Amino acid sequence: MKVSIVRGGGVAGLVTVTTVDSASLAPDDEAELRARVERAGLAGAPERREGTGERPDRFDYELTVEDGGHMLTTRAREGDLSGALRALISYVTSLPGRQEQVGPPG
Amino acid sequence: MTTFDRMPPCCIAPPDLLEAVAEHGTPTERESALRTLATSESARAQRASFGGVLRQLGLTVSDVEPAPGMVRTVYDVENGGDFDLPGRKRRGEGEQPSGDAAVDEAYDGAGLTYDFYRRVFERDSIDGRGLEIVSSVHYGTDYDNAAWIGFQMIYGDGSGQIFTKGSLTKAVDIVAHELTHGITQFTAHLLYSKQPGALNESFSDVFGSLAKQYSRGQTAERADWLIGEGILGSALRGTALRSMKAPGTAWSTPAGGRDRQPGHMRDYVDLPDDGDPSNDHGGVHINSGIPNHAFYLAATAIGGNAWERAGRVWYVTLTERLRPRSDFQEAAEATVEVAGELFGADGDEQRKVRAAWQQVGVL
Repeated sequence: MKVSIVRGGGVAGLVTVTTVDSASLAPDDEAELRARVERAGLAGAPERREGTGERPDRFDYELTVEDGGHMLTTRAREGDLSGALRALISYVTSLPGRQEQVGPPG
Repeated sequence: MTTFDRMPPCCIAPPDLLEAVAEHGTPTERESALRTLATSESARAQRASFGGVLRQLGLTVSDVEPAPGMVRTVYDVENGGDFDLPGRKRRGEGEQPSGDAAVDEAYDGAGLTYDFYRRVFERDSIDGRGLEIVSSVHYGTDYDNAAWIGFQMIYGDGSGQIFTKGSLTKAVDIVAHELTHGITQFTAHLLYSKQPGALNESFSDVFGSLAKQYSRGQTAERADWLIGEGILGSALRGTALRSMKAPGTAWSTPAGGRDRQPGHMRDYVDLPDDGDPSNDHGGVHINSGIPNHAFYLAATAIGGNAWERAGRVWYVTLTERLRPRSDFQEAAEATVEVAGELFGADGDEQRKVRAAWQQVGVL
């Protein structure tokens, strides 16, 4: 299972991409990751939004989960995150086995 | 409509009762309910839903809190999120330092920004009517951000990656940048998308930089014209988040990422506003480099303290001329017009403001 989180926005206006491959994780961490992905209940298609609303300098997220040939993507705004999504994001972004890349938008 | 992860604490009259009275009561009952919602301390924990009620009634927080003068309140949200706001009250206006550096720095930063706007532009707080400046510190865990979320400030502690720990409340330009988003919200209300969004970002950088220059007593020549200088974490190399003097030079990463802000319209980055976080609402933090550079050029050409003339032109433009969908061209033309009105038609200031926009390819 691969989980990828793209985070944009914030006062810095940077794009941070965090990816985790469960194959590189210890069994306990992999189990925890799968459990959190399950609880997050990702929708099947990315939400398309016109007029992204008045939230200057808050974060925007896009999460992609790839598992056994299936791919699920969802988008969410900081401030709108469900507890389960927030828990998944905070877990992935603090896993020691994660890859992280920071860059400009575009 | 948002849902709550856990129920917030109740007050004597629970918020939903107050909301019902606010919506369906007589005018006197409405006013009383709105004031109770606004002032009761436990109801403060529900400013998110309070904001929603106000929006439904076509009001803003300033309609129920019209007391002039600076009022700051700082809370500790204890690593909570939106639904825990504002948190535990740590310092009210006029109270002694709390001993928590984030609390006291947020308090001071709000005061410095308030004083800057009051003394330089005679503006009484974010809404121009003495709106209480509420700040919550220790938001989230290792949260690499600070933001004005429509009715209050939030500050993270920083993770050490994007920002050094504890730095977000210390950086005057970051504090003033965020509070200026609040001012824009109450005035031009520039849409956070594409060119209007880049203008929104730019006005926040302009007044963020001016507040820093004012606090240091620096002229335009002396200023560093950097946003977020000295607070970058280990993931970034360089001096700052953005440079108004030299857009595109502020930061880079070991993997080869770098600041790609343009300083001229020929390098405008035309990203879509499609909800993809990597497109930054159509590049609002990227293309802000162009109006930022125009302000830098105008201010340094005019000389002296940048907040006095160039700053005043930009302030009047933001608060009295622009509209939610104003683009770069409209903003440029407005600044030229305002410069003529404030300092004389065909005067030095007007010519230099026009020249600045010509130099960045907008006019």
